[in-house]
Amino acid sequence: MIFENIMHRPIRTLVSILAVAIEVGMVMLVVGMTHGMLHESAKRVEGVGADIMVQPSGASLFLGMTQAPMPVKIADRLAEIPHVLAVAPVLCLLNTQGRVDLIYGIDMASFNSVSGGFVYLHGGPFTGPYSIMVDDLYAKAKDVTVGKTLNFLNHDFHVTGIVMHGKGARLFIPLATAQDLTGSHDKASIFFVRCTDPGYTKDVIESIRSLLPKNQILSIKEYMSLMTSNDVPALNTFVTAMVAVAVGIGFLVIFLSMYTTITERTREIGILKSLGAGKGYIIEVILWEASLLSILGIIAGYAGTWTARKFIIATFPTLPVELTLHWALWAGLLALGGSLLGAFYPAIRAARLDPVDSLAYE
Amino acid sequence: MLLSSIFLTTSANGVQPARHIGSMEPIISTENLKKIYRIGKVDVAALRGVDLSVQEGEFLAVVGPSGCGKSTLLHILGGLTPPTSGKVLVDGNDFSYMKDAERTKFRRHKIGFVFQRYNLLPTLTARDNIAIAQHIQGDGFNPHRFEAVTEMLGIKDKLGHKPYALSGGEQQRVAIARAVVCEPKLLLADEPTGNLDSENSQVVLTMMRTLNRDFRQTILMITHDAEAASVADRIVRMRDGRIIWD
Repeated sequence: MIFENIMHRPIRTLVSILAVAIEVGMVMLVVGMTHGMLHESAKRVEGVGADIMVQPSGASLFLGMTQAPMPVKIADRLAEIPHVLAVAPVLCLLNTQGRVDLIYGIDMASFNSVSGGFVYLHGGPFTGPYSIMVDDLYAKAKDVTVGKTLNFLNHDFHVTGIVMHGKGARLFIPLATAQDLTGSHDKASIFFVRCTDPGYTKDVIESIRSLLPKNQILSIKEYMSLMTSNDVPALNTFVTAMVAVAVGIGFLVIFLSMYTTITERTREIGILKSLGAGKGYIIEVILWEASLLSILGIIAGYAGTWTARKFIIATFPTLPVELTLHWALWAGLLALGGSLLGAFYPAIRAARLDPVDSLAYE
Repeated sequence: MLLSSIFLTTSANGVQPARHIGSMEPIISTENLKKIYRIGKVDVAALRGVDLSVQEGEFLAVVGPSGCGKSTLLHILGGLTPPTSGKVLVDGNDFSYMKDAERTKFRRHKIGFVFQRYNLLPTLTARDNIAIAQHIQGDGFNPHRFEAVTEMLGIKDKLGHKPYALSGGEQQRVAIARAVVCEPKLLLADEPTGNLDSENSQVVLTMMRTLNRDFRQTILMITHDAEAASVADRIVRMRDGRIIWD
């Protein structure tokens, strides 16, 4: 009977399934994109090849931004610490012109010492102060080629190279230019420190702490462990709010769908009651119907999310979507729970209908 | 089947009524049964003191004009609504003291309904409409009973059809099959021929007569139709919420 009821009103069924699918897709994509961006950003920092990050206290972990960059001269003192192989000062810039882009101002020689050098897919290193290098994903997303001019921070930059992604930022400009543009002469916001051997990381950190007691000093391992939604301010709140909105949509659609179903099927409920169906039976039928709609919606949601992810990656290569089984299960459970909750009141209402009135319902 | 206990006569419409003789406890017994509906601020008395006794295996027709309380009586006897006062014993159970859940359980196992408008579930096939009664009863699908009932009612070739693909007569036969497939003690029929032409009415009445005669099914039928009532063993006439003739 449950299956027949669902098939009896195909449009209502489709709308309900679609709503649950949107709910599941919204939860998975919002979580997938936020976690994807976070993890991808962390992986890029890891890809720089350093063992330690030195930042001013209170600097943002996510973008490396700070209101008070440190003197570049610190790099020389860090380089003197035993077991330090190389130090790369980086000044992080945030371009908000039209879009948000993180730009690394780098000293090519020291950055190469730490990272082992860029892999150039096209072109080569900076040729002048207003040179820029972009990574391959950015180039693909924005259709950037070597020789093209890009406008950042109200200045035109000449693209000299397209490099393999995964080394900190997607955009790189000379450190001196970055300092000029921000008025932060001889300053850097991050020092990437590479040890002669990763086993010395702890010792080097201790040494840096004694040298720069007020600074934020993290091993890259620690940094990676901190790059979770729990450690990025307001991210969890944003994700929770979006999940709540998604679950709310599913809940309301199923509630309305089942509520109208009950009204439409008042007479049928009367018939079931005349056959001896108790309140439990009526509630069970309605909750099973909502569950079936929900399960179909969850399956459609998974399929839709997978398709959307493929589309997003193809269209926006710089936007990572990280789909996990953990969140797929959560999205499914939330959708099912929301649907059951949405169907509960209509089910109770149906169970309480007077059989004589129901049988007389036109 | 106690065919030997059946006394057959022929009625005006050709259907053979039967009278069962028995000295056991009545399956239905009401005493001073009253039902008052509150409509707005006005109390409307639907039943004003009904005393009725029906023996097991009896086929009783209740006739009377619209609004005389026939349907209310049927609803109370079927446990669909409680009485306001008085006593109503069905198969030894006093509905006056039973809760809704208890009446529902009793109805599930002991009572079958046939309605004027057939009241089949539109999304289900005839087969599923009949089987759902067994499903609700909770004893599972009984293929032997199902076969016997559908065979007797002549609907075996219609079991795959949904209600909209069946004629009125066929729908009513499916409804009867649904009502009796769980072997209820009491079959309550609310104007079962009210929506049917004379030919189909005849078929349905014959089926009910057969059920009563061959399966010793107790039937209480309310009707406007004197010809339909004549199929019954006994006719009770109601007016203004009371039985005025038995």
